[in-house]
Amino acid sequence: MNRNQDILNPTEVDQFGLTAAALLREGSQSLPAGIKDRLYAARLKAISVKKPEKVRIQQHVLANITGNWSSGSRPFWDKVGWIAPLIVLVFGLIGIAQWQQDSRINDIAELDVALLTDDVPPDAYADSGFMGFLKNGPLADAEQDSLDSSKSPS
Amino acid sequence: MASPQELSDFLSSVEQRAFKQAVYAVRDDDAALDIVQDAMIKLAEKYGDRPASELPLVFTRILQNRIHDWFRRQKVRNTWVTLFSNMGKKSDENDDFDPLESLSAPDDSEIHQDGAFKLERTQLLESLESEISKLPARQREAFLMRYWDELSITETALAMSCSEGSVKTHCSRATQALAKALKLKGITL
Repeated sequence: MNRNQDILNPTEVDQFGLTAAALLREGSQSLPAGIKDRLYAARLKAISVKKPEKVRIQQHVLANITGNWSSGSRPFWDKVGWIAPLIVLVFGLIGIAQWQQDSRINDIAELDVALLTDDVPPDAYADSGFMGFLKNGPLADAEQDSLDSSKSPS
Repeated sequence: MASPQELSDFLSSVEQRAFKQAVYAVRDDDAALDIVQDAMIKLAEKYGDRPASELPLVFTRILQNRIHDWFRRQKVRNTWVTLFSNMGKKSDENDDFDPLESLSAPDDSEIHQDGAFKLERTQLLESLESEISKLPARQREAFLMRYWDELSITETALAMSCSEGSVKTHCSRATQALAKALKLKGITL
C-alpha cells in the first residue's frame, strides 16, 4: 500500500482498531436468541467430550536403607523396560556378525599360510599337467610302494 | 490443566466472538455455527488437558484452521456444482422464496431505548461488519486477532504462522482500508 494514501498515522491505527473492536464486541452481545441457544448447545457438547484429565496411579513405593522413599522414576523404568531388550538384541546381532566375519577371515588366512609355506608353488595346483604328474608320475609309484610296504608283514 | 468449569467459562466467553468472526469470513450463519461447534469440540477433545492460560491462543488457531478448511471444502464443492448445474438447469426452483420470511424480528426488549442512538449504532456496526467481511482473509484475521481477541503481535504471528512483521503489515493495511471505506460512507470512528 502506498503510504502517501494512508489516512491514519500509526497511533491512529491502534486507536481505530481498539474503537472498532469495542463496537464489534458490543454488537456480538446482541446475537439472536436462536444462535445463542445453538452456541450454548455446542458448548455443552464440547464439554461432554473433553479430554479426560490424566489420573496419577498410586505406585507402591518402598523405603531404602537411608529411609528415603523412592518414587517418581517409574515412567523412566517403564520406557527402559522395552528399550533395553531391543538394544541388547541389536548389539547381539552386531556381535554375531562380527564374530562370523573374523572367523571367515581367519580360515582364509590359515589356507593362505598353508599354501604359501608349502614346497609346491600355489600356481602348480592350477596346472592340469601337475595334477596328472601327481597321479601317474614317480611320486605316485613311491607312495604306492610305501603303502605296500606298510601293509606287508615284516 | 483446565477443569471442565474453566473450559466452560472460556468457551462461554469466546463463543459469540468466534461466531461473529466466522460469519465475517464465511458470510453464512449456519456454516459459522458449524465451524464454531467444530472448533469447540476439537479444543475440548484434543487440548482439554492444557492449562487454561493456553486455551485462547489454541482456540484462535483452531478456529482459523476450521475456517480455512471450510473454504477448501467449498472450493471443491463449487467445482462439482458448477460442473453438474450446467447439465440439468432449473431456473424457477427458488421462485417461492420470500426474503421477508428470512428476516428476523427485532428484539422488543430494548424498544424504550433512545431509538435514534440505537439506529445509529446499529448502522455503524453493520457498515463496519460489512467492510470487515470485504477485507482480504489474512488482513481480517490479523485485525480481529490483534484488536478483538487482544492477542499480542507475537501471539498473532504464532496463530497465523507468519512473522511479526507480516502481522504488523496486515493490521495496518486492514485498518487503513476500513478507515478509508468508512470515510467514504461518511463515518469516522
